[in-house]
Amino acid sequence: MPSDINDAALDYLLARAGLDLTNEQKAELKTVHAALAEMAERVRKPRGRMAEPAHGYGFAEEDLA
Amino acid sequence: MSDTIPTIAEAARQIAAKELSPVELTRACLTRVHALDGELHAFVHVTEERALAEARGAERAIMAGGSSGPLHGIPIGLKDIVDTKGIPTTCGSKFLQDNIPDTDAACAEKLAAAGSVLIGKLTTHEFADGGPSFDLPAPPARNPWNTAHFTAGSSSGTGAAVAAGLILGGIGTDTGGSIRGPAALCGIAGIKPTYGLVSRAGVAPAAYSLDHIGPMAWTSEDCALMLQALAGHDPRDPASASRPLPNYTALLGGGIKGLKIGVIHHFHEVDHKVSEGTRRGIDAALATLRDLGAELREVQLSPLQDWAACGSLISITERAAAYEEWTRTRLGDFSERMRSRLMLGALVSGVDYVQAVRRRRELRAELQQAMKGLDVVLTATQPAEAAKIDEVPKWDLFDRPNFTMPFNVAGYPAISVCAGFGAGGLPVAIQLVGKPFQEPTLFRVADAFERATPFRGERPALVTARAAA
Repeated sequence: MPSDINDAALDYLLARAGLDLTNEQKAELKTVHAALAEMAERVRKPRGRMAEPAHGYGFAEEDLA
Repeated sequence: MSDTIPTIAEAARQIAAKELSPVELTRACLTRVHALDGELHAFVHVTEERALAEARGAERAIMAGGSSGPLHGIPIGLKDIVDTKGIPTTCGSKFLQDNIPDTDAACAEKLAAAGSVLIGKLTTHEFADGGPSFDLPAPPARNPWNTAHFTAGSSSGTGAAVAAGLILGGIGTDTGGSIRGPAALCGIAGIKPTYGLVSRAGVAPAAYSLDHIGPMAWTSEDCALMLQALAGHDPRDPASASRPLPNYTALLGGGIKGLKIGVIHHFHEVDHKVSEGTRRGIDAALATLRDLGAELREVQLSPLQDWAACGSLISITERAAAYEEWTRTRLGDFSERMRSRLMLGALVSGVDYVQAVRRRRELRAELQQAMKGLDVVLTATQPAEAAKIDEVPKWDLFDRPNFTMPFNVAGYPAISVCAGFGAGGLPVAIQLVGKPFQEPTLFRVADAFERATPFRGERPALVTARAAA
């Protein structure tokens, strides 16, 4: 996710989400976009294609030891 | 008004011994509701007639056949995202002002089956998110220790009502800290149990894979008594765990000598520095635990910001999915704060979400590894004493990584207990975290700490002043 977002990109994302926002609401989203982009960057690690997501919770014996 | 507010454990002993009438106990709670809730706004709906009828029923049953258990005749409240048959359940939202469910949520059903007395439905942030909001049908709850201050949320009414003795225990829900935050700022105990231990059936979702239901009460012992009634497999909840249930009070009073407690200092000293009062509370708590015989060890995890990013991305996306239909068609009917949170969903891609869930697996494995050889770990619950209610930042999600989300991400049980009082006489707290399904150990440590410290002896001045009047 790029840290800056232009009006056209924001409009595309909002249209895809089915949201019809006021200019004021769009401006607010733009103010927090960089922070959200930083979060999205934080969860990306060099983990390779085999690293699975957490699928839910069956706790392993290792959890309980 | 009686100036003595018993704990659930104390009241249960007196009720079982027929020294305390459930009707008198319920009337005392209702008297406090009438006297204080005009300021606290802890309740959105008081079920007075039902409460008195249930209390009379409990009294008759106890006189005839004895108490059926520690919650028999005990006044409780339910967060207003918990479905209650025949009783309005609004989720704090304009959308559900006329909603009267035709069934009880699993947790409401279980507490009723245990003989508790329902005093009413408790204030929540809208659909358990955002807040405090001043543009909802009901005003936000206020902190009994100083009503100009915030309770934290989203289980805001439960925190305020327990602290002020309007109920002896209540239900909260916790997606990123919504039980433990209000417990901390209102000076009570609140546990987010292991994911899957308490059924979510009939409770409005905030974020499916992070949502937990749990008890809030004056003491950790009371939370243990409530959890005993609440825990257990429920096929109506797809995440419900199927495991034998332990006795949650079995280890209380056994002391903590030799227990190993890990301390995640970097969370509250480096990643997000806590207030001076909170820091003093944590340091004093560590000294107390050491004096009680626990061995303290240093624990290093990924930065708090990593846990917060992971949990927030999952939370934003799952919430946006849950409320997508209304977000698309009636966005303006949400509170301003909830609306802003829901709009964020448009900015998170499907790949962002899956990367967050992959990170979640890594972070959980990291906590699992860090807790090897330890019984519990400790960190802050909240960064500071309660802020003024009109000075709570809207985007604290981004500004201040919270201390509670890591354990929603991991699904591990975590309890907040009062660790004293800081600036302005407002409560500060510690958070203790256990291994999955090891709530008895968590209660053992929390209970030992509460008994070794004087903080359970002090109620908010507003409560004691009214009692004396």
